[in-house]
Amino acid sequence: MTELVQEPVIQKKSFLQRLRENPVAVKELRSRMRGRRAFVVLTVHLLVMSAFITLVYSAFASAASGPYGPDSRGVGKVIFSSVLGLQVMLVIFVGPSFTAGAISGEKERQTYDLLRTTLLSGKAFVAGKLVSALSYVLLLIFVAIPLQSIAFLMGGVAVIELILSQVIVLVSAVTFALWGLYASARMRTTLAASVVTFAGALFITVGVPVFVGLFAMILSPFFAGAALLSWQVEAALMYVLMFLAATNLPATLIVSDVALVQEGSLWYFNTSVGGASGASHTIWLFSPWPLFLILYILLSVVLFYATVRRVRKIATQ
Amino acid sequence: MGSIIEIQGLTKKYGDLVALNDLTLNIEEGEVFGFIGPNGAGKTTTMRILTTLLKPSSGKAWVAGESVIDNPRAVRRNIGYMPDFFGVYDDMKVWEYLDFFAACYDVPPNTRVGMIDDLLALVDLGHKKEAFVDSLSRGMKQRLCLARTLAHDPQVLILDEPASGLDPRARIEMRELLRELKLMGKTIFFSSHILSEVADICTSIAILEAGGLVAYGDMAEMKRQLRTHRLIQLRALGDLTPVQEFLLRHESVESIITAEGADIPSDSLRFDFTGDDEALSQLLASLIAHNFRVVAFQEETGDLEDVFLQVTKGIVN
Repeated sequence: MTELVQEPVIQKKSFLQRLRENPVAVKELRSRMRGRRAFVVLTVHLLVMSAFITLVYSAFASAASGPYGPDSRGVGKVIFSSVLGLQVMLVIFVGPSFTAGAISGEKERQTYDLLRTTLLSGKAFVAGKLVSALSYVLLLIFVAIPLQSIAFLMGGVAVIELILSQVIVLVSAVTFALWGLYASARMRTTLAASVVTFAGALFITVGVPVFVGLFAMILSPFFAGAALLSWQVEAALMYVLMFLAATNLPATLIVSDVALVQEGSLWYFNTSVGGASGASHTIWLFSPWPLFLILYILLSVVLFYATVRRVRKIATQ
Repeated sequence: MGSIIEIQGLTKKYGDLVALNDLTLNIEEGEVFGFIGPNGAGKTTTMRILTTLLKPSSGKAWVAGESVIDNPRAVRRNIGYMPDFFGVYDDMKVWEYLDFFAACYDVPPNTRVGMIDDLLALVDLGHKKEAFVDSLSRGMKQRLCLARTLAHDPQVLILDEPASGLDPRARIEMRELLRELKLMGKTIFFSSHILSEVADICTSIAILEAGGLVAYGDMAEMKRQLRTHRLIQLRALGDLTPVQEFLLRHESVESIITAEGADIPSDSLRFDFTGDDEALSQLLASLIAHNFRVVAFQEETGDLEDVFLQVTKGIVN
């Protein structure tokens, strides 16, 4: 055998420098932003958002019955919620649609093996794919911020509401994009990866609330008829509901905002539970957003390493 | 020079199917090694194991002294791999394609520019630097892929059917390119179905059938060893009948093919001779001594196709 080949000396680079020089991210961004397509999509996105906000404003104004026109605080709140709703749709459906084909697309194009015989690490590969997909989604989110600012002109929205909602949306964007990447690494085709990605996203966003709602509907006659629930059981049910809310992006945004605006608290609020005795008890509930962030960040880390492991794996078949 | 590729008892099974059966090979540094065999013989499986894309069921392999199982990253640093089917990215320019893979091989950005120009000059694609990859012809893409394998200046090139699907001109260009790489000191391990091509440029060959090694060694030596019968063509003036009768009486002449039965000139005949060089020389001397007017007397060199047909049994198609 020949002598061992010496590994070249590799200079330590900062995380940001490595991210900036990540070949996959550079290649993907270069391709994505090339030509008119990216700018056309961006323009269409902004036009649709603007049209939507105009529509919301017009509908709200025409429905207002007061002598001084529409309540500007109410209009501001509605515009804020509408833009946020569109951002949520972007995060749940558009972000994963970019990542669902990111790795399976390499397999379909027959470039996956070429990449796997290079020195590109599994982490760099997955991070590059994630950064490139997220960059575009974040660009779509950020360009909508001026539209969000209209809500501030109208009033009715606090800065903390905007910051909190954007943090929740950003963390969700990462998690949903990583879910798409994981599905892409597991599946052979982009079609299969897309189906798994959207099924998962729909389940966590729509499926869980629907199941909880159905479950509550089934159980409510029993509870109403029996009227025997102790206040502790009622409190426990409230905590379970808050936990479930913390697993769901729209529910977290809504409940956290309600706690912030109506209860005036960012972290926790109280509510009364009755129970069978009829006596009122006050219980403290935490706003769901901290738990949501912890759960989604943890899920992101797990999905990232699961995807890296999958990409690194040397085939046995 | 030592072995740069060592394969010991390599076996790969897919369930009950044995794709590769106890393969043992040594390839010396600087060799051009032709790996030939019918479809399904196990050539691609061997190459995928050597390029760290596939785990063997048993056995070991080393490239440049590094184990493909224990130290795949070090192996990747030393190899350039060109699969039989490879994809290219749609919306990338030629220089971006090379830049991307060079970055994947940790080639520093400041050295990439000059390196890309050199590689494109080597594969005669300098004029296509700014062209999009998907606009290139099949032959050009193949040459670009070969340039990609050289991006990190590896010692070993593993090329799976590098000339498949190419027109004759592109095949010649590819062959010239391989010769050029041989002169640069690269060890080339390549598979091919085009036997004349392998015979033209290889220093050694291995013939594989149904996952097993059926012949292996130095090109010229193999031809010699595998040839138990020698074909001698003789041209003489006058009537050839007495010559035929004389030859048939000789103990080392097995059979005679005359002009009527084969594509040979009418004043010639071809005979099957089992003796060595000494016996052949004595036969010529006795022909002259018997006043046969011999004008030409030469041994026909068998080509690789003869060798291939002799050693393979057509088990796999």
